[in-house]
Formats: sequence, structure tokens, C-alpha cells
Amino acid sequence: MDFSYSPEECRFRDDLRAWLRDALPEGWGRTVFEPEEEEERAQFRLQWDRKLFAGGWAGLDWPTQYGGRGASLIEQAIFAEETARARAPMGLNIIGRNLAGTTLLHHGNEAQKQRYLPQILSGKEVWCQGFSEPNAGSDLASVRARAVLKDGRFIVNGQKIWTSFAQYSQWCIALVRTDPDAPKHKGISFLLIDMSSPGITIRPLKQISGESEFNETFFENVEVPVENLVGGLNEGWKIAMTTLAYERGPEDAMARQIRFGQELDGLIVWLSRQMRDGRPAIENPGLRQKIARSLADLEIVRLNCLRSLSRLLNGAPRGADTSMIKLFWSHAAQNLYETALEALGPMAPLVAGDRLAPANGAFILSYLQSRAFTIYSGSSEIQRTIIGERMLGLPKQRI
Amino acid sequence: MNFDFEQEQYAFRDSFARYLAQAFPRGNDGRLDRSDVNFDEEWNALAELGLFALLIPENYGGIGLSFVDLSLIVEELGKVLAPLAITDTLVATDLILRFANEELKQSLFPRIAAGECRIAIAILEAEAGYDPAACRTVLESEGNRLCLSGRKILVPHAARADYWLVVARKADTDEPTVLLIPHNAPAPDLRSHESIDPSCAHGELIFDRLPVDPGTVLDGHEAAVRLFDVSATVASGLLLGLADTSLNLAVDYARQRVQFGQPIGAFQAIKHRCADMAVAAESSRSATYYAFWAIANDPPDRSRTVSIAKSFTGETAGSICNESIQIHGGMGFTWELGLHHYLRRCKVLEYSHGDAAFHRERLVTEAIAAIERQNDMA
Repeated sequence: MDFSYSPEECRFRDDLRAWLRDALPEGWGRTVFEPEEEEERAQFRLQWDRKLFAGGWAGLDWPTQYGGRGASLIEQAIFAEETARARAPMGLNIIGRNLAGTTLLHHGNEAQKQRYLPQILSGKEVWCQGFSEPNAGSDLASVRARAVLKDGRFIVNGQKIWTSFAQYSQWCIALVRTDPDAPKHKGISFLLIDMSSPGITIRPLKQISGESEFNETFFENVEVPVENLVGGLNEGWKIAMTTLAYERGPEDAMARQIRFGQELDGLIVWLSRQMRDGRPAIENPGLRQKIARSLADLEIVRLNCLRSLSRLLNGAPRGADTSMIKLFWSHAAQNLYETALEALGPMAPLVAGDRLAPANGAFILSYLQSRAFTIYSGSSEIQRTIIGERMLGLPKQRI
Repeated sequence: MNFDFEQEQYAFRDSFARYLAQAFPRGNDGRLDRSDVNFDEEWNALAELGLFALLIPENYGGIGLSFVDLSLIVEELGKVLAPLAITDTLVATDLILRFANEELKQSLFPRIAAGECRIAIAILEAEAGYDPAACRTVLESEGNRLCLSGRKILVPHAARADYWLVVARKADTDEPTVLLIPHNAPAPDLRSHESIDPSCAHGELIFDRLPVDPGTVLDGHEAAVRLFDVSATVASGLLLGLADTSLNLAVDYARQRVQFGQPIGAFQAIKHRCADMAVAAESSRSATYYAFWAIANDPPDRSRTVSIAKSFTGETAGSICNESIQIHGGMGFTWELGLHHYLRRCKVLEYSHGDAAFHRERLVTEAIAAIERQNDMA
């Protein structure tokens, strides 16, 4: 057991810190923030993706032959920590880098890797994820969007939902049914769909936070060349599982715990300056207990990530422990934002735009956003089933 | 960076677990009955294995391991509900090593290593809470001698200890300090407690101006805080172990017990509960192993790390013990099945060495101070 970093890892961290200091505007995260308007914000995030690429920080863990940096898992964890600590913007092409790219690295053929990976890293092509459908949510394997192979191309018909960033994307990784007669897990294929193809309609969905990050996406006789099939025909389910393991992984949670921690620190500072019922709000013992609980939870998210990364480094495969990581951080974060609202007390209902809103409504926006944490990337109920069956060996329910 | 144990540490744990399985035989139903408090055979078996020499440095004839090496061992002791005198003696070894004078080390270490010296930890008081600085047992000078007055409660195996490691407050400075009081004449009064876990053989110690040899004082505030941190970490390790056993019993039962034509573990109502328990146990493991690393390596945030582990693992273990009984249904509530042994030990440990509320308050106080320091610098 060793929590120290090697000289190379320390140098990596120092280089990254120095680069972030130069790359981010003066006063970033304190007086200068992301644009509030959504379209502007998306473009700002895309510019950040391109800046990272220009600085040599995109695709850290990817092999150098595809434009990556070939970095170690530890360096990835350092990257996640430092960019979060610097409050660097989230990129726009998160799905491209973390999901599409990673899946192609594992299951794509050489031509696909050559064609797509460099464009993902450079931020030239943004990706979205066409997995969920109105009738295939937690039961993802019951996707119904059909793809029929005809004259060297797939003809795709159907509807996807919760397709984040579809409105900004050039490409989509999609799960489609290619064999309606096979058992449901065995009739799915994994396609790369050009979002500029004729027959695609995108309709934004407004979320409870008021934002419209995700969409409904409709496919009507959309033609997809056969070379855009990843892996074998009807082998899409296995490939999708790789995608999901990376979506829930420790690299993701590592960055999140830092961002949550920054908000918690901000809450403590706010409370220290606030009077409540005749005494400083920070002295409320009930609130202090809940804040402490969140402090502990966030540290445990970090420690869970470090243990998981160490297991991976020591040769263990990416397994169901990613479900544990996701289940724990998502509920820890929801508890944190519940506590934040309780801490704001009478000010809690004020949102951005009201001059009295604490932190210009940041806490309450995060609270609303946090309701999605236990739903996306596999709902908590799905994670619990995965943990119960794959880690604890409990039987599947017979219906 | 590697938050994992070495292969040798796992191998050592495995052989220790096999040894424990023999030394602590299980009943026919696979569960433990630890109500027999006469544990001489078990103690001697562990001494023979060399458990008590592990933390003692090589120049005192020991093995010179650290608490990182011992964390998996403590967890195994927790799994079998081993008598607390065993881990109390390990904690005391650490304190003696760091704070006792040379003479005391020379005289005690060979005896500890040989298993001839049981040390019981006496921290709790009826009216003092958990903060070592708030204790009311007082060490004062009378003429040219020191004497100790006060009451310590819930001392595990108090009557069978060779020494008691006692926290007291110095009358002149008001600072807490740690004393190693031998169990010989003149001795404190001793009363047996009635407690939820009879296998702990809890006792109350009553000191009435008991003369104290100044050579047995492990002096300083830091000794008292370290004793608190090490004890809390070891308690977390034991809680982790017993939670792990409770969880495994629940999962095994859910796999086997058939109702409505299928194993109850197939139903989400049970499966999801087991999953939540497993996540809580795994998270306790992360927190507790890190606390063991912290007490072995003494980073500046040692106390914070310990408080995270003890607050989280204490509550987690409590809820896992409760859930395990629930999943076993009516059988879970029977004395015979024995799940209550885990629950009982859990309650003792949960409320020793700082409960969740105490540790959280310590944690948040420290966090606020750290943020203020940061803002002052900025």
C-alpha cells in the first residue's frame, strides 16, 4: 500500500497544472465562468476540447498511434483530479472520448480506428449515444430500432431517447435490432451513424433543471454503410457492455468527487457568513452532522476509486465494481445536495437570476441536476441487480 | 500509488484465517457462540502463532510489522468475534512502543510477545463522552507520589487483564495522559457490568487515590489522541469484519431459502438490499484500510481519516447486522441462529472509541478550520 506518486507522475501533475493555469482565463472559477446560454456554452466546451487537444492532453490513455498519449491509469486519475480542481470546463465531446472512442479501441477494426479516433481527439467530430429508447430504458436489451441489411447498407428506422448532445453531434453510437427473431440479447448490433444522414430528426427535451442537454432522436429510413458496423452482426450487446463499464468507471467518479467537494466547501463558506435564528448558521449541530456525512462520503468516493484503479493496475478486469462506484457516488451526491438545500434554509427556493439567490442559484441548480445521477448510466435499480447477481451470486428472478 | 495489499500480506491473511478457523471453532450451524468468556486456549493459540510479536520491533525480539500489515488480520479477528482483549493488547503495544520509557519497553515487550501480558483499554467514563480531554479520571500529586482517582466503565475482560491502559487528566495541567496500571496490589475496585455483549466480560474499574508508578505514565496529550485514533481504527477493522460475516450469512441464506417457488435472493426486495449492504461494506473497507495506513504512517490528516472510517463503518456495520436479521426472517430473531452475537458486538464497538456523531463533529470542525486557513492564505 503506497499513496505516494513517482517522480514521473509528479512531473505529469506539475506540467498539467502549469498548462491549466495558462489555458484558463484569469479569474476562472472565481469571477469568470462558462457562458450561461446553452448554445454558447456548448461552443465554449467544444473550444475547450480543441484546446486540450492542441495542448497534447486529449486521449490520455489512448495509444500514441491514434493520437493519444499512452498515459497510465494513474496519470488519468491525476488528470481527472487536476482538471476538476482547476474547475476546467467539461468538454462537449465527453461521449466521443469516453464511450465511442474507448469502445472503438476495444472492438473497432483498424480502418474504423484510423477513421474515427483522431477526429474524436481533435474535437473535429462530436459524438452522441443512441442506446435508450422509450421502451428500452433499464431493459436496454429490448431496443426496437430496426436495422435491415440491404445492398451493402443498413436501413435504420426507430426512435432513440435521452440522446445527450445529439444537436451538436456529427456521429452517433447506436444499438439497433438486426435480428428480431433471436433472443433479445442476441439480435442487437452496434452501428456508427452519421448524424447528417437524411432521415434523422432531433427534438430537444427540456429537463427538470430547465436545461435541454438531451433529445429525442428519430430515424426514418436512414442509410448506414455496412462498414459502420462495429464487431460482428448481432454481437452488439457485448460491445455495449464495454461502453457502459467505461461510463461508470473510477476515472469518471474521481473527477466528480472533486467537483462535489468544491461545492461543499463553498456551502461551508456561505454558511459561515450567514446568520440563522440569531446565531451563525454553521453552528447548527444537525446541519454539521449532515455536512460531515457528506465530507466523509466524498472522501470514500475517492478511496473507492483509488482501490478500483489499483485493482485494474494489478491486472484485474473491469468488472461489476464499477456499478458499486456509480451507486455510491450518485447517492452520496444526492444526499449532499439535499443537505445543501437544507443549509440554505429560507433562501433555498431562490434560483439564478434572483439577486438574493445564494451563489447565484448554483446549489439549487446542482440539486435539480443531481436527480439524474441515480437514473443515467444505468439506474440505481439496475446497478443493484448487477451487483446482486454478478458480485454476490444471487439468482435471477424467474417470471 | 497502490491502494492494495501486497501478495504476501494476502497470503499471511489467508493462513491466519485458516488458523483462526481452528482456534475459534464454529458451532454446528456455522455461526459463533462467543458467550464462553474463558478464552485461554484461543489466546495461547494466537500467542503461539506470534500475533502479539507482530508490532514489536525486531530489536526488542519482535517482527516489526506495521498496522498496515495488521489491518487484514484485525478484520479476520472481527469476522470471528475474537475477544477484544486481543486487539486491545495490540493497540497498547503501539502506544507503549511510541510513548513508554526504555525500561518499560524492555520489561514488557518480551512478555507481550510471549502472550503473557493481557492489556485492557480503559477509556470510557459514565459522564465524560468520548473526547480524551473531557475525561474526569484524574492523576494528581500527593506529596511526592502520584495517585489516580476516578471510574472507568465498559473495560473488556477487565478482571482478566494483566494491565489496564487508562486515560486520565493531569490535575496540574488539565492535559490528558495515558497510564499503564498493573493488575496487582494495590488494585482498583472491580465490578462486573451487565452489558449487551456478555462475551466482552465488561468491567468497571474504580480508582480511589490509587498510587501510580511515574514510570508507567505514557505522557502527553499526543499519547491520548493517538490511543483514541488507533483504538477507533482497530474498532473500524473489527466492525468491518463482523459486517462482512453478517453480509455473507445474509447472502448465503438468500441464495438457499425458497419461498414462492424460488430463492428469496431472486426477488429485488432482497437482492437490492444485499447489493446496498455490499456497497456499504466495500466502502467501509476503503475507509478503514486507509485509516490503518494513516495510523501506521502518521500523515497530518490522520485524525480526519480515522473519523471518516469510524463514523462510516460504525453505522454501516450496525445497519448490515440489522438487515441480515431481517433477511433471515423469523429465524434471524432466534437466539439459536446466533446472528445476535454479531449485532451485540457491533453495538459495543459502535459506541466505543467515538460514535458516529462524535467523529462527524470532529470531522466538520476540522474541515471548517481548514477552509478558514485556506481563505486566510488566499
